[in-house]
Amino acid sequence: MSMLQKEPISAKDSTLPEDKLSNTPSDSKDYSSQSFLHSFVQTIKDVFSDKGVLLLLLIAPIIYGFFYPWPYSTEVVNHVPVGIIDKDNSNLSKTIVRYASASPQLDTKRFLNEQDAIEAIWSDDIAGYMIIPSGLEQQVLSGKAASVSVLGNGGYFLLNKNVQMGFLQAVSTVSAGVEIKKSVAQGAYSATAAASTQAVPLKIIPLYNQTEGYGAYVVPAVAILILQQTLLMSTAMLIGTWYEQRRHATSIRGWLGRIAALSMFSFIIGCFYYGWTFELHHYPRGQNMLGSLLFLLLFCPTVATLGCVFGLWFRQRERSMQILIFSSLPMFFVSGYPWPAHQLPEFLQIIRWLIPTTPAINTSVQLNQMGASVAQVATGFYALAGLWAFYFILLLLFRWRTPQSKTGY
Amino acid sequence: MRLTKQKRLSGQKGLIGAFVRSAGYERRFLAKNPWDLSMVLWIPLATVLLIWWIFSQIQITDLPIGVMDKDRGPIANTAVRYLEANPNLTVRQLYHSPAAVEAALLQRDIYAVVIIPEDFSRNISSSKPAPIVLQVNAQYGTHSGIIQTSVQSVIGTLSAGVEIQRLVKQGMAPSQAAIAYSPIGIQRISLFNAATDYQQFLASTVIPALLHILAMVIGATTIGRELRDKQIGRWYDFIESCHPDLTSIEANTKNDKTIIASTSAANNKTFITDNKPRKASISVLLSGLLGKYFWPTLAYSLWSILALWLAAPQQAVAISSIMATYVGLVLLMMLSFWLGAIFTLTSFSLRMGLSSTGFISAPSYAFAGVTFPYIAISDSAKHWSDALPLTHYLKLHIAQLQMQAPVAISLPIVYGLTLATVIAMFLAALLSKRALAHPERWGAR
Repeated sequence: MSMLQKEPISAKDSTLPEDKLSNTPSDSKDYSSQSFLHSFVQTIKDVFSDKGVLLLLLIAPIIYGFFYPWPYSTEVVNHVPVGIIDKDNSNLSKTIVRYASASPQLDTKRFLNEQDAIEAIWSDDIAGYMIIPSGLEQQVLSGKAASVSVLGNGGYFLLNKNVQMGFLQAVSTVSAGVEIKKSVAQGAYSATAAASTQAVPLKIIPLYNQTEGYGAYVVPAVAILILQQTLLMSTAMLIGTWYEQRRHATSIRGWLGRIAALSMFSFIIGCFYYGWTFELHHYPRGQNMLGSLLFLLLFCPTVATLGCVFGLWFRQRERSMQILIFSSLPMFFVSGYPWPAHQLPEFLQIIRWLIPTTPAINTSVQLNQMGASVAQVATGFYALAGLWAFYFILLLLFRWRTPQSKTGY
Repeated sequence: MRLTKQKRLSGQKGLIGAFVRSAGYERRFLAKNPWDLSMVLWIPLATVLLIWWIFSQIQITDLPIGVMDKDRGPIANTAVRYLEANPNLTVRQLYHSPAAVEAALLQRDIYAVVIIPEDFSRNISSSKPAPIVLQVNAQYGTHSGIIQTSVQSVIGTLSAGVEIQRLVKQGMAPSQAAIAYSPIGIQRISLFNAATDYQQFLASTVIPALLHILAMVIGATTIGRELRDKQIGRWYDFIESCHPDLTSIEANTKNDKTIIASTSAANNKTFITDNKPRKASISVLLSGLLGKYFWPTLAYSLWSILALWLAAPQQAVAISSIMATYVGLVLLMMLSFWLGAIFTLTSFSLRMGLSSTGFISAPSYAFAGVTFPYIAISDSAKHWSDALPLTHYLKLHIAQLQMQAPVAISLPIVYGLTLATVIAMFLAALLSKRALAHPERWGAR
């Protein structure tokens, strides 16, 4: 079915929904001369008198501002439950166990054999375990190659990383101790020996998200996605409702007024995220506040325009939610934020630019979390401006193809 | 001939009749409403394939980093060569000024920079520690995690080489030097998904999450549109007694191609508005609801096969594990339909039902404990996570398909999902009965 297909409109009696969606029955007046300001004010009035639109446009994103960061409030993964199977039972193995237990990353439990440990992994009691083989101390003392095994659950990436790093640190510390003791025994001063355990130590400096919190990583990006999805659905809901009531037609100025009004709400929510939500959760924020506001000023109307297009396409109040609710996750994955864009299939690398979040998530994070200058994210701004123009042309096409009023049919 | 068969079936009495008539009613509706049909057919199919396609390059490779080599000695050169040789990294550029590095980081040309300090060679030759600095854009968590582990392993290798060479120079045999460098080695093993395959990790778990969202939306719309269009009473009359005969009425409207015809406005013309309260029988309602959700159930059972077919063949997974996972996934789909229906029926409003559905299902993946582990989720949020069916299904999914756990370990989840589905189904029927008794609340938008 062509999306632009003209539809014959059967004669209808506009039974309006109970919850006072329409305020003016005199809507059949001439729309072509509707002014920007009149349309702007009328849209605001309609938003406040339509609790469905109000819920989606204003209330839902505010609730999400608290709800979405909720699971991540601990930010870093610590005290991962792990198992230790000590088959050596020597002084050395006890030292390793002690160091592992002291690690803030791990929460150790003793197991007698591997089968028990595997079963504990299956029932999610532990995320991995270490096996200290028998004869470890003996081998180390006699200068033979010796090793312990660390087995992490690869089914959960973040847990696996914690298990590996936690045990690695514990064992390396003990190993370095052994090395120092030997060097000292061989006549080296213990200070030099300790320093030389790592010839080339690596010093890692995390930039921007300095605490490396998970919520601080994911929420600033998802906030932009939430902004887009709630604005898209509420706009399409409002326009779809107007279509059902045959109030959708207006002049180009009228459409701009509607877009301005709807964007204004989302702009306020955007400020709420930048100024309140991120602050509340101590996320990196406000690095380039002016740039961030400029970004919102471009992003919100772009999304609102797309929402208008969807409204004229769906032509029904509830349709936008029905079709768009599921789309958040796929849109997030092609945005290039959680998954590197160059890893995507080439075709997706191109068509993902049709979605506002594709330039928007990165631009917002670069400005607000990282502190890039507007010039440094110019590509994002151009892409959003291009999308806005593209959506507006689509809107004009839909406007032209959509019956303007019931008269004439 | 098909028509007479249909007539015969729809004339059947009792519960089977209610089921058949309701399924027929729904089939005619879906045939005329492309948007609703696409939610059952094309959108879930496209979604499953799209997600699988997004992660078709199963490992993250070639993350762009920069290098600032202030030393330019031979070992520093080796470090750069090692970094270039690492498949996870690609050295985009050598930088000379901190300002250029900062700009490149801010523009996301690179996600990290490895800085080799000026006195690097001198420190090594004088047996002092010669640190290398990694500045990484930690705002991009995935990128940062992979860069950190890769650079760590590269520098670890380099460091070991330097150290062993130093010991060899002191007259130790190379094999002995390696042991002396690291007396206790570590064998790092990833049980299950050893290749850190993101398709297995993310795609295979995101797909059930998306099917769950779509199924809840269908659950909300399938019964919700009858409420919105004030047709739920006529639907009940039809499935109970075949009166009025909606097959013929709808056949007439078939010529009218308008989508709008199925929405409230036009429906009031096509159908006679009938707002009398009904005392419905629970058993008829149950059969009718099962018939109404028959097509989505059938379709989503197929999409579940597709989802598991994509997720399973990578390793040899026991057939019993696949069966248990499949049963779990189909139960999750049915439970989603009923939950969507319950949200709509409690609020008497399709819009409200969809809002609640979206609010609960859309972020459920974040609470499910896959990307951010369950044990790290804050205690209060754990209660929410426990209440979401997706959390339990994904636990079963990962245990059976990736961890090759014995089926018995996951059976409690299957039982739990079965119980929840049955309860939700009865609740949906009870709420439908209530809805039928309150025609004054039909038509809410």
